[in-house]
Amino acid sequence: MPPALSTARPMLSTARAKRGTGDWRLETRLKWLGGWVHMTGVFAYAVRRIFTTIPLLVAATFVVFVLVSISGDPLARLATCTTCSDAAYDRLIDLYELDKPIPLRYVGWITDAATGDLGTSTSLGEKPVAGIVAERLWNTALLAVPSFLLIAFLAVVLGVFSAIKQYSIGDYLVTGASFVGIAMPTFFFGLLLQAFWGVWWQDWTGWKPFYVTGKHVASFGDYLASATLPIITLTIVLLATESRFQRAAMLEVIGSDYIRTARAKGLSERRVIFKHALRNALIPLVTLWALDFAGLLGGSVITETIFAWPGLGQLLVSALPNLDLDLVMGLVMVAALLTISFNLLADLLYGVLDPRIRYD
Amino acid sequence: MEVQGLTVEFPTEDGLVRAVRGVDMHIAEGEVLGIVGESGSGKSVTALATMRLLPKRAQVSGQVLFEGRDLLTLSDRAMRGVRGSDIAMIFQDPMTALNPVFTVGEQIVEMIRAHAPVGKPLAWKRTVELLDLVGISEPSRRARQYPHEFSGGMRQRAMIAMAVANRPKLLIADEPTTALDVTIQAQVMEVITEVQKAVGSALLLITHDLGLVAGIAHRVQVMYAGRVFENGATDEIFYRSVNPYTKGLLRSIPRLDAKEKTRLYTIPGLPPSGLSRNEACPFRPRCEFADAVCGTVPELVEVVPGHQSRCHHTQEVSM
Repeated sequence: MPPALSTARPMLSTARAKRGTGDWRLETRLKWLGGWVHMTGVFAYAVRRIFTTIPLLVAATFVVFVLVSISGDPLARLATCTTCSDAAYDRLIDLYELDKPIPLRYVGWITDAATGDLGTSTSLGEKPVAGIVAERLWNTALLAVPSFLLIAFLAVVLGVFSAIKQYSIGDYLVTGASFVGIAMPTFFFGLLLQAFWGVWWQDWTGWKPFYVTGKHVASFGDYLASATLPIITLTIVLLATESRFQRAAMLEVIGSDYIRTARAKGLSERRVIFKHALRNALIPLVTLWALDFAGLLGGSVITETIFAWPGLGQLLVSALPNLDLDLVMGLVMVAALLTISFNLLADLLYGVLDPRIRYD
Repeated sequence: MEVQGLTVEFPTEDGLVRAVRGVDMHIAEGEVLGIVGESGSGKSVTALATMRLLPKRAQVSGQVLFEGRDLLTLSDRAMRGVRGSDIAMIFQDPMTALNPVFTVGEQIVEMIRAHAPVGKPLAWKRTVELLDLVGISEPSRRARQYPHEFSGGMRQRAMIAMAVANRPKLLIADEPTTALDVTIQAQVMEVITEVQKAVGSALLLITHDLGLVAGIAHRVQVMYAGRVFENGATDEIFYRSVNPYTKGLLRSIPRLDAKEKTRLYTIPGLPPSGLSRNEACPFRPRCEFADAVCGTVPELVEVVPGHQSRCHHTQEVSM
């Protein structure tokens, strides 16, 4: 539900209007106080949005629950097991409630989930799902957070550069590189990095600056050495698309009348670009940031698999073939919650960046 | 300000578009000069060229002398000092000319502080006074609002307030009322002339509306196809025009005393393309006086002192 575009803003409180003394500093402070009326609007909007996530989560989890439940038989593996007792059968039937229809199983699962019990994983030593997911989420975040910061920062730098130097050699280089980044599959780029730093570079110089596989976090240096390559891999594709997007947004703004006005005021080119143009060109990028960050935090199946990084993506890959239903459902919950909350965050950020947006 | 031989060309895929072809113009201190012409006659480009606000691909030549300095050869830094301070501009569309993410007050404060070492509190105070000057009620509250909370006419008033913030010596108004409702055009023009007199600046008024310049301008310069076609005191142009193009424009004005059901006069045909290399008078295909002499572009010649016209047939036209 996007915030409504509106041409009006809430009226300022009378107290504030009366105190319009012309003192700049006083005005700025009062602006925040006076903004309280506006804040309640945002607050109400956020609360309403949070409540609408509940049916959304129910719907999403139901679909996945049914799909996973009908996609395989947890008892199939036991069928070929000659040493397994009937007790093992009974235990699995009991654990998965296989004697009940799928909708009832779902009701059981969601009732437990609502109380904070996400069940236990069968494939990872019967540990509680919540604990496993939390640990893996942290691991994924070790890659996702630095990668996101890199993407956001570099996309703005490259996009702005490309836009203000449109059709220059630099612009063509950035544009060409981003097309390569968009076109190259993640697994290929990841493998290329591994081959380069793990094999070729070491052959030439006898020095291996990075771990090419596994998570090593004994020290900060170890973390850098093991996380750098997967972070670069994650960054490259998203950076390529985001910098193109930033370039387009910036070009549109630079061509607008108010940029000409800013120049006519005699402002320096730096001020025109970084104050007047960038502030406007960042607005459309916020959605992209939110979705990309939610995606990164949800874990990357390919990158984590290539670099043997024990994150959420890798967990999903191992949980699915094992028909570890509770674990899959736990992962789905995390991904859905991330997407929904970052979307909400993006919509709230819009209100901060664009005064024309009102929440009601 | 003295403009000499100003030429502006834009390279395009179809060839070089010659938007302005050797325009001379001078405007004295405190004077109001109206530039009139159809769309595409080069009037806006002339104004933007003097401010050096055209895109980089535009090729500008000639001289724009302002207080003895040629603006076209000034350094970027020196030119920034002129823009907004010595020469300020009001643009055509107030709906898009203000930055949507900053308050109106912030944008005027920025204009003041770009050219004077003034603290924010003082600049803010001055901003509120300026908004009051251009007839915006509750100026201190309005200054804290964003452009989208202003109506079109209010935004243009805010633009005017911003333009005169640093008491410029020359104010350039590029079709300031074209994008506005007819009902508020007159109000906005009144505000422009009032503040222009209050600040004591010269005014360069660019418009396609002859009626607009009639009551305001001291002198009028008529442009056609990138050239000045007639130039003179307002009364001379309106009552003693010796140029077929100007006469056509004057006849195209709707009249209140016209007989019912008379069709409004229009000049036949279209202005030539900016790509045209034709050496003939550009008005020739649309002109009732056209003959073989019109195969060359006429010079701008003085008819009476202070009144020049560009036509081979000045004698016949004036009869």
